[in-house]
Amino acid sequence: MENEQASARWRNPLKGWQPAREVDEVPTDPWRNPVHAPGRYTVKLFAIGRLRFFHKFRAHGKRLWHRTRYWPTRRRVLDVRGGYNPKTLAAEKTIRDKRPLYWLTAFACLLALPLAVPDSAANTLYTAAAIFGIYGAINLCWMLIIGTAGVSSLATYSVVGAAAYGSAYCSIHFGMPWWALPFIGVPIGLVFGLIIALPATRLDGFYYALLTLGLNELCRTYVLQSKVFGSATGGLYGAQSYIPDSLSADGQLLLGYYASLVLLVMALALYRTINGRRLGRILRMAPEQKEAFAEACGIDYRRARIQVFLLSSMALGFIGGFYAAHFRGASPSLFSIDTVALGLAMLMIGGMQRAEGAVLGTFIVVGLHHGLVGLGPLRLILIGVIMLAVVLFLRGGLFGIKPQFRAWRDKKKSENRSTRSVKGGEMLPEEATETFDKDEIYRRRFDKQQRDFLKTLVTAQVIEEHRRQPLGQHSEALERLLMYFRRHPQQDKYAIEVLEPFKAYRIVALSGHRGVAPHDVEEKIYASTDDAYHGVFMRRVQDLLES
Amino acid sequence: MDIGIIAVNALTLACIYGMLAIGISITWSSLGLVNLAYGFMFAFAGYGAWQINAWCSAAHLALPPVATLAIGVLCGALAGLLVCALAFIPIHDKPNFTMRGMVATIAIDLIGTQGLLWYFGPRAKSLPEIFGYWQIEYGGIVLTANTAGAIGSSILLLGAVLLWMKSSRRGLEIRAMMMNPHAASLVGIGVRRTGLYVMALTGGLAGLAAVLLSQTYYVSPFAGFTPLIKGVSIALCGGLGSVAGAVIAAVILGINEAVTAATIGGQYVLITQFALIIAIIVVRPRGIAGILDRAREA
Repeated sequence: MENEQASARWRNPLKGWQPAREVDEVPTDPWRNPVHAPGRYTVKLFAIGRLRFFHKFRAHGKRLWHRTRYWPTRRRVLDVRGGYNPKTLAAEKTIRDKRPLYWLTAFACLLALPLAVPDSAANTLYTAAAIFGIYGAINLCWMLIIGTAGVSSLATYSVVGAAAYGSAYCSIHFGMPWWALPFIGVPIGLVFGLIIALPATRLDGFYYALLTLGLNELCRTYVLQSKVFGSATGGLYGAQSYIPDSLSADGQLLLGYYASLVLLVMALALYRTINGRRLGRILRMAPEQKEAFAEACGIDYRRARIQVFLLSSMALGFIGGFYAAHFRGASPSLFSIDTVALGLAMLMIGGMQRAEGAVLGTFIVVGLHHGLVGLGPLRLILIGVIMLAVVLFLRGGLFGIKPQFRAWRDKKKSENRSTRSVKGGEMLPEEATETFDKDEIYRRRFDKQQRDFLKTLVTAQVIEEHRRQPLGQHSEALERLLMYFRRHPQQDKYAIEVLEPFKAYRIVALSGHRGVAPHDVEEKIYASTDDAYHGVFMRRVQDLLES
Repeated sequence: MDIGIIAVNALTLACIYGMLAIGISITWSSLGLVNLAYGFMFAFAGYGAWQINAWCSAAHLALPPVATLAIGVLCGALAGLLVCALAFIPIHDKPNFTMRGMVATIAIDLIGTQGLLWYFGPRAKSLPEIFGYWQIEYGGIVLTANTAGAIGSSILLLGAVLLWMKSSRRGLEIRAMMMNPHAASLVGIGVRRTGLYVMALTGGLAGLAAVLLSQTYYVSPFAGFTPLIKGVSIALCGGLGSVAGAVIAAVILGINEAVTAATIGGQYVLITQFALIIAIIVVRPRGIAGILDRAREA
């Protein structure tokens, strides 16, 4: 190898046609294929940015901008966007938000539940499903109070309980029909909401949560000890129900199930109406600990909070009346700490501040609690373990898994990037995502690889060859280097300034801008053009080796 | 109506609830954790004392009554450490800790009480008499063994705890955490270590309260809930983070409870209590001696 390298020589192909100063032969390194140069393509490319995959639906050109809106709003049924494929220019449509489809699928499953229920488990399942509907509705109202209004009230179930007891009492003693019970519950809920809301104007956060927990306990002990509210019978029973006795057992279960499903849908509509419109938007502007900012923007967040609280309390009263009409009465278990704990578990498991979180959490907890009755206290332990795991590991409940996972993955990605020691000449990720022309990323990478190869070509032989003859035919290695140097952009490109023709030359660097003079790079004066050429070459070689 | 009985009852209740309230108050102000697993810690201490008593009597060992008290305190401290390890240490530096911590303690309470119910069954247990059957009569006021013992032991333990917090190095750490947790961690006070001390301490207080209360009530999985509510409301009323406020509130609410029970009837105790608390809190939103205005929110 040593011999072979030493013996490799480059012969000038133009020998004989050129002036006498042309060199005939120079020693050179043997030719190497730059494609197979060692150390190329070893630096791993890391994916930059994030691709989000949407299915593209074919669209007819005329229908591309069509929107289906529903009366009386200008809202659209689905957020469908039309556009053209940037490469093929084909018209295509994208569903940007598929959540309405998921909701519809879930409802279709719930509606079709009776088809899948085996006869042996019908009683348990329908009872659990009816409880799911009622508790889901309660939790949606609670989510409005905690999530939208930001009032951490734990007395939600006591409002429901109060309305249930009140309307059951009216039904038993004044013979109110079943359809009046929810409407009796509304004013009771309003009054209770007013009483509970009173300290909310003064207290904040956890003082209020603890106080409402105490209020809940107060209601429980009162109901347990009061003869009027059935302390002897363990609840107040005997209210009129919307489920007629004449119906068969299965029919009663089915009616109860569908009625509570309707209640759930009504609660969802209420949630959408309050959270998605003016009140909800005002309150989203004033999250906890940023009230001062919202106030400075002219938002009366206290008023909005109380409004949401009272509206939710009325809805909770309505649900309380429905509860009384559904279960033919009310029981003190509505006020127990376990109910509050389970309700909180439902909200936390699904995820705060979202309707789907409340519904999914209710589904899981009610399913475990009422669906697996055979397990005894174990099922409550199971729910507690799920709740603990969700609180310890998840920031936003089950529906927060996706953003949390993405944040974690991005963190890992950037950690990996920063621990890498070999750089591939590419852009930083921040710069890369901002660059419009993505080819530039790969051009830089190619440039880096090219420079790495060219560095290996710089040898004493090549420099000596250039010193002897800066212009004219060169060996392959020197020619490669010179061609790379010539491609340097105008900015900071070296040039030779003639101070005095044939006597004094100096190296300058071009500014790259028209009308701006080149600047000096060194003081050294060269006596001939060839010396100056070689000086420029040496500076470029130095820059190459330093890069 | 006998003023003496009311005063003695008020004092006993104030002592027992005061211990719980001071525990809740210290936990909140130093760790920022609303400990709603008090019911579990309470029941765990009671059941621990009962179980060890049962084992000892099965082995024909006669435990001195004070040992029962000590076992209760130790079991309470153990439960406190458990709560700390589960609900404070993993998430104390995570976002939205106050809410998550509270829900975690509720979850621990649910798991713990249901586990106790599952393991020990629904039948309530009774602990042996600790203070015997004697009574002191002084100027028409009758102090039975239970009340005297309860008042004496709770004041003793509380005094010891407060003295320790005032004079020891660890107490200084806890007080520094109460003033400014962030700055405390900056000057080298271990947040997790202090959390363990605080929870063991408050757990011990809860354990003592459990054993003392089980002299009049029984040990049952859900026995801790009413004391929790009382403790929380006293801590709230006194101002979270203030020991003096908790003592004042405990005295006020103890008097209220004794007077209500003696005049209107026992079932109205909670109603008058909450009316009183709401009245106090509407006047002073941070409690009687609410020292922490916005400091603990961070």
